[in-house]
Amino acid sequence: MEDRITKFIAALRAEGVRVSVAESQDAWEAITHLGVRDREAFRMSLRATLIKDFDAIPTFEDLFPQYFSLGTPPLMDPQSGLSEEEQQMLQEMLQQMLQDMMEQIKGDLQKLLDWLLNGQTPSQEDLEQLADQAGLNQPNARSPQRAQQYARRMQQMLGWEQMQELLEMLWEQLAEQGMDPDSIEQMKEQVAQNMDRLEDQLSEYAGEKLRDNRVEDAQRHKPVNDLMNRSFGSLSQPEMDQLRDEVRRLAARLRTRAALRQKRGKQGKLDAKTTLRANLRYSGVPFEIHFKQRRLKPKLVVILDVSTSMRPVAEFFLRLIYELQDQVQKTRSFAFVDHLEDVTDDLLTHRIDEAVITVLTRLPAGHYNTDLGGSLRQLEARHLDAVDSRTTVIVLGDGRNNFNDPGVETFGRIGRRARKLIWLNPEYPAQWGTGDSDMPAYAPLCSELYQVRNLAQLTDAIDHILV
Amino acid sequence: MLFNTVEDVKRALADCQYIATDEIATVLYLAEKLGKPLLAEGPAGVGKTELSKAWASATSRELVRLQCYEGLDESKALYEWEYAKQMLYTQLLRDKLSSLLADATSLTDAADRLGAEEDVFFSERFLLPRPLLRAINSDKTTVLLIDEIDRADAEFEAFLLEVLSDFQVSIPELGTIVAKHRPVVFLTSNNTRELSEALKRRCLYLYIGYPSAEEELEIVRLRVPDLAPQLARQAVEMVQTLRTLDLKKNPSVSETLDWARALVTLNARALDNETLENTLTVLLKYEADVERARRVLRRSGGIGYGRSNN
Repeated sequence: MEDRITKFIAALRAEGVRVSVAESQDAWEAITHLGVRDREAFRMSLRATLIKDFDAIPTFEDLFPQYFSLGTPPLMDPQSGLSEEEQQMLQEMLQQMLQDMMEQIKGDLQKLLDWLLNGQTPSQEDLEQLADQAGLNQPNARSPQRAQQYARRMQQMLGWEQMQELLEMLWEQLAEQGMDPDSIEQMKEQVAQNMDRLEDQLSEYAGEKLRDNRVEDAQRHKPVNDLMNRSFGSLSQPEMDQLRDEVRRLAARLRTRAALRQKRGKQGKLDAKTTLRANLRYSGVPFEIHFKQRRLKPKLVVILDVSTSMRPVAEFFLRLIYELQDQVQKTRSFAFVDHLEDVTDDLLTHRIDEAVITVLTRLPAGHYNTDLGGSLRQLEARHLDAVDSRTTVIVLGDGRNNFNDPGVETFGRIGRRARKLIWLNPEYPAQWGTGDSDMPAYAPLCSELYQVRNLAQLTDAIDHILV
Repeated sequence: MLFNTVEDVKRALADCQYIATDEIATVLYLAEKLGKPLLAEGPAGVGKTELSKAWASATSRELVRLQCYEGLDESKALYEWEYAKQMLYTQLLRDKLSSLLADATSLTDAADRLGAEEDVFFSERFLLPRPLLRAINSDKTTVLLIDEIDRADAEFEAFLLEVLSDFQVSIPELGTIVAKHRPVVFLTSNNTRELSEALKRRCLYLYIGYPSAEEELEIVRLRVPDLAPQLARQAVEMVQTLRTLDLKKNPSVSETLDWARALVTLNARALDNETLENTLTVLLKYEADVERARRVLRRSGGIGYGRSNN
């Protein structure tokens, strides 16, 4: 049973349900209180301790019966109702028939006969061998939905159809030999039942095998962590989708961290001026005290390069920032390729998925036409009100300017107005300054610089920004 | 009171007029045995809050309730110094203080004497305990209900996490207060916001959905015994049908009960056209929903509409 539960938890994790070690310990403890006899109570002990999301309940309910089924009943011995004479008759008949058919026999008829006519339960080795023959150990045997299909293949390996013919013949001949028709009828029925049960056992075995394979597979890949450290440029479409889901969870984690920091740093200083003024009416005895409100949540101005090379990074950055809206006082977002556009409204009025698409389609990337210098000048001319002494300005770009005027002066002026000037660059520092990169000119003006090649780095950078 | 089986829990709740499904009873039993907070999620009005109330009365414990809302902070949830009261006392005790300090020989002596009395002003006398502190500091085990946790800010959730993990609170002036008896904690959430993983990890999870027709009928019978059985059945069937209709707001169990009571008050004999017209607004709170329900019921002949014509 312990083995089962461990396997079950592994299967939940493989399906993407997050189960922590602490939670699996809770599950064990719950089971010690309620036991495993009462299936319903057992199910609820596991569910209450392991599943913490409404969305994950269907997954749980789906997997539970697969791992903790009542089990198929064992095979019966159809010969138990026969007299000794009849049993002997049967044995002789079988011997003869098998000998007659020797040449045409395919599969493992002898074994199948033992199971069906003597009620022996298939041993683990037999099953394992069959499974192997049916291709259950192949690398593509992964989806539990196909259990039936594999079970049928296992039946074929055993010579199921031939067995049916053989049984028909057997019944006929036994009748000819003068066996009691009632006995034959009874035996026939029980063998048919045995066949049903064996079929169930086989498909159950196949299902279990497939589930194990799948879990093993998932464990081997550990996909998400790996993806976090892969560079954005090298991700395939499905991998991107997977990462997008991950962003939501990451954001939740960042939010808790940021929130905790907010809470710990919130106690403002005594505001002497307001306190004195408020307490004048109590002849200066400070009945009401006032504290200075510290504004810890940053105000952000984001300047995004959405040229072709930058798109994946820009997308994930936008997703993270907008998931974290509640930890930020205000965000103004600007995107540029060859000119600058204010995209704040696009991002606020749409759901994040649509928003990202809207922004990216509004600024189609051209061919080598990125102009950061010009865009910065536009920002200074039109939107300088967005930047004040409480604003953190974040530039997300590779600093490649196509040999246009980098606008370092303008950049410096914006930086002096802002609280902080942060640059996120997806390129390796060694590449800065090569070709058309103006990074060395911008770098000394920034208060912080981060390299953001992958999601792990990006998350770290944003965590720092939120301080 | 001791509960040794899930059945005991179920029976105790039933005695307090709460019909618990096996699921609810099992999880509650586990929460009690493992000493873990119970996080109940589900649509509004299915009896999440009611469960904790019923449990408090079943175990004859005091119910301490903390209603969460946006902007709830520590001083509202945990404790507050009654600053004005402290101030008032200092003012009133001025004479006493000067007499105490009158024969002090030096400034240091005076300061020492004052220091010796300092505790007077930072004692429990001036401490205003809020729900969390009350639950922790209580002499008996309490049932602590943290209602609608999803409405509080993430900051508050982070703070709650610390309290729920060790059930102790430190008040700088008084020291650390450790719970004498760990309260049984219920958290409810309507899922308007994703709760943090860390909080969920510490709780047992219970999802309470809408009850089945049988369960709901049992609830109606228990809570509104005056309603005729035949009518009760019809009413519940009607509510169950309404829930399948993709409405803006589904009628909750508490609304079913309100409706049942309305039917009793109106002395209704059957769910005929007129009764429905008059009372549908008890169940449905949006005009669009009412319209929609009327249309669908008329088309299908309804539960009540068909019968009333006979």
